[in-house]
Amino acid sequence: MCPEKGISKTMSKTNIDEINRNIYDIKNKDEYEFKIKKGLTPEIIKEISIQKRDPEWMRDFRLKALEVYNKLELPTWGPDLSELNMEEIATYVRPKTKLNNSWEDVPEDIKTTFDKLGIPEAEKTSLAGVGAQYDSEVVYHSMKEELIKQGVIYTDMETAVREYPDLVQKHFMKCVPIYDHKFVALHGAVWSGGSFVYVPKGIKVDIPLQSYFRLNSPESGQFEHTLIIVDEGASLHFIEGCSAPKYNKVNLHAGCVELYVKDNAYLRYSTIENWSKNMLNLNTKKAIVGKNAKMEWVSGSFGSKISMLYPMSILNGEGSKTEFTGISFAGKGQNLDNGFKVIHNAKNTSSVVNAKSISKNGGKCTYRSLVRIEENAKNSKSSVSCESLMLDDISISDTIPVNDIKTDEVEFSHEAKIGKISDKTIFYLMSRGLSEEDAKAMIVRGFAYPISKELPVEYAVEMNNLINLELEGSIG
Amino acid sequence: MQTLKLNETPIRTCRNFNINNIKLENIEIPNTINKFNNIKITGDISLISNNTSDIKLTYGIEEGLIKQIKEYQNAKIAINCNGKLQCTHEKLDIDFNLDEDNSTLLENLEIIANENSKSTIILKYKSEKDLEFWHNGVIRVNAKKNSEINIILVNLLNIKSNNFMSIENNIEGNAKVKYTIIDFGGKNSITNYYSNIIGENADNKINTIYLGKENQLFDLNYIGELRGKKSNIDIEVQGALTDKAKKHFKGTIDFKKGCKKATGNENEACMLLSDTAKSLALPMLLCSEEDVEGNHSSSAGKIGEKELFYIMSRGFELKEAMKLIVRAKFNKIIENIDNEELKEEISNEIDKRLD
Repeated sequence: MCPEKGISKTMSKTNIDEINRNIYDIKNKDEYEFKIKKGLTPEIIKEISIQKRDPEWMRDFRLKALEVYNKLELPTWGPDLSELNMEEIATYVRPKTKLNNSWEDVPEDIKTTFDKLGIPEAEKTSLAGVGAQYDSEVVYHSMKEELIKQGVIYTDMETAVREYPDLVQKHFMKCVPIYDHKFVALHGAVWSGGSFVYVPKGIKVDIPLQSYFRLNSPESGQFEHTLIIVDEGASLHFIEGCSAPKYNKVNLHAGCVELYVKDNAYLRYSTIENWSKNMLNLNTKKAIVGKNAKMEWVSGSFGSKISMLYPMSILNGEGSKTEFTGISFAGKGQNLDNGFKVIHNAKNTSSVVNAKSISKNGGKCTYRSLVRIEENAKNSKSSVSCESLMLDDISISDTIPVNDIKTDEVEFSHEAKIGKISDKTIFYLMSRGLSEEDAKAMIVRGFAYPISKELPVEYAVEMNNLINLELEGSIG
Repeated sequence: MQTLKLNETPIRTCRNFNINNIKLENIEIPNTINKFNNIKITGDISLISNNTSDIKLTYGIEEGLIKQIKEYQNAKIAINCNGKLQCTHEKLDIDFNLDEDNSTLLENLEIIANENSKSTIILKYKSEKDLEFWHNGVIRVNAKKNSEINIILVNLLNIKSNNFMSIENNIEGNAKVKYTIIDFGGKNSITNYYSNIIGENADNKINTIYLGKENQLFDLNYIGELRGKKSNIDIEVQGALTDKAKKHFKGTIDFKKGCKKATGNENEACMLLSDTAKSLALPMLLCSEEDVEGNHSSSAGKIGEKELFYIMSRGFELKEAMKLIVRAKFNKIIENIDNEELKEEISNEIDKRLD
């Protein structure tokens, strides 16, 4: 008997309609208190600065960033960004509400959106604090009383600029300088919203904090800035979620995340990104990791039309460590160019990368990465593993890793695999009574398990739901 | 003196990763090209003619350097492995020796492996004196159905010379093309290798060893495009670097649409023998076909202390122990060469270069 022959008869493909993204696609009426006119000029930047009541240094910083933006070129690699026309994007949209610290005060339509995304419920059951951003402004921020007493600061970025000027000015866009690339410069010019977290020395925040970013307004951009400082010996788990309804024209997300993990500190930064499939997600995330500190990234990337996202750890402290665990899932019309970068810049540092990707229905996943071990990083170790799964023959999966080793006393290894779901495995599961579709879904969930197990239970469930949603009817 | 930008990868990545291409500064491109007389050919010389076709490359090392060969080639060799007699294994050894009177070699080598032919061709590049030589070559291989061709390419040039090599293969159904590349010479040794693996069951194997010392730079850009059903490519690269030597390895396995059940494996390992040697690698897997299997692995690091300790406890000095380990790692690839004299020569070169 030849099981594979038998099974091949049942593997005809079925065409499917656009996936119903249900709750993520809820569109509220495009109502706002203020929307800046489209385009990018010094006048527009000055207007944003006035609207945001910036201090003088921040206004000057924005204008400098605009200058840099105008000088830098678009990337000459990666996905085609030619459809992005900044003249068509409104960079600042203020919703019709102020910052609230009670959900009751949040306007009904905005509250309903966050309710459906499960944010207030999660806050009650499993989070120590929540921030919620709607378009360009944070509309809700709150944190458990005991953390406030311990000196933990968790607030929106604008409040931080005003109330903690020294701390902010010392760290703001120092980890991610505006010269890094064009979209960081753009972010520096038009940033709005985002979260600021400071965990004082030795404080362990056991329950995660979460910020959720929602972009509702069409033809607009979201440019939130997240700045987290985990001081010496402290620890934190921070979760970031993002989504948006789908419009016909492109939206832009060019956020920036700067993380400072001081000596002996620990930070886990988890992201479930589910932007709508008209979104260009050109986000930048970077962490500077101190002596014996540990930085962990957990990342699930499901949404966006185009994503270019490469979180980066700079291991500056002796004995510092980083781990990256990430999955990308690209469906029809999506080009997810994601990956990870690490610079080993001190002795005895280590990095572990576990990246996975799934492509189907013509989607494209690219894993792009850098591991650089500098001359001074003696006795460092790096282990990278990436696996790609193709669910049909119209999709694309590329792996483009760069390994730059500048000294001899290192242990470096990199492994990558590309392949389809094994017919034998499907046959085995089908012989145990599963339908082919269920068997494939089970294999995909198993493939994603090393990532989902790193998430808090509710988010792992959300990720599994997203996988099911993405797979629904798409294989057969 | 010129600055050359060469060996572009088929797909670009971030510019500041410094791997999309290689920039060579202060390169003196020879403008007087004399006849190259120092070629020694042994074996089935009846296979040779000078009827090469026009050079048209899909990739190639750089436009200007290819143009230099087109216009000024001083070694033009066409090899026609005819396979008229079944089971005949045709063999050919070609030695290019660069010296004071033959200091520039621009060779255009075209090999046609006809249907059912079986052949081994050894190409050796050597420079006797410690002068600055220039080697810029194109090798084109057209492997017809059911042919088998084994090419052994040995670069033993000195470390003051420039070595540029553009290789292109077209591999038809059931054909097997195997390369063993020994890359030791050249201040700059830059190789662009491309295989169009077009036929069903076509197979391409590349086994490379490189050995770098002082300020040597190796830039290896290997590209395998799999188009044929059940086609295969295996790339194995083993290297050792000492002093301030530097290696860039760019390996691309590209599964093109339609290459169902194709397989591709890429393994790259670099032994760093000093703390100033540098290894940069970009092992790419590109995939537009579902039913394929692709793997790559890449590693870098120094020789294991346990291995060294073991050998040294048997009475060897550190340098000798290192040589022994490098030779042992390289042996797996050198064993592919069915020529005892050449194997011996390569082993001696390893010892000499690591002294």
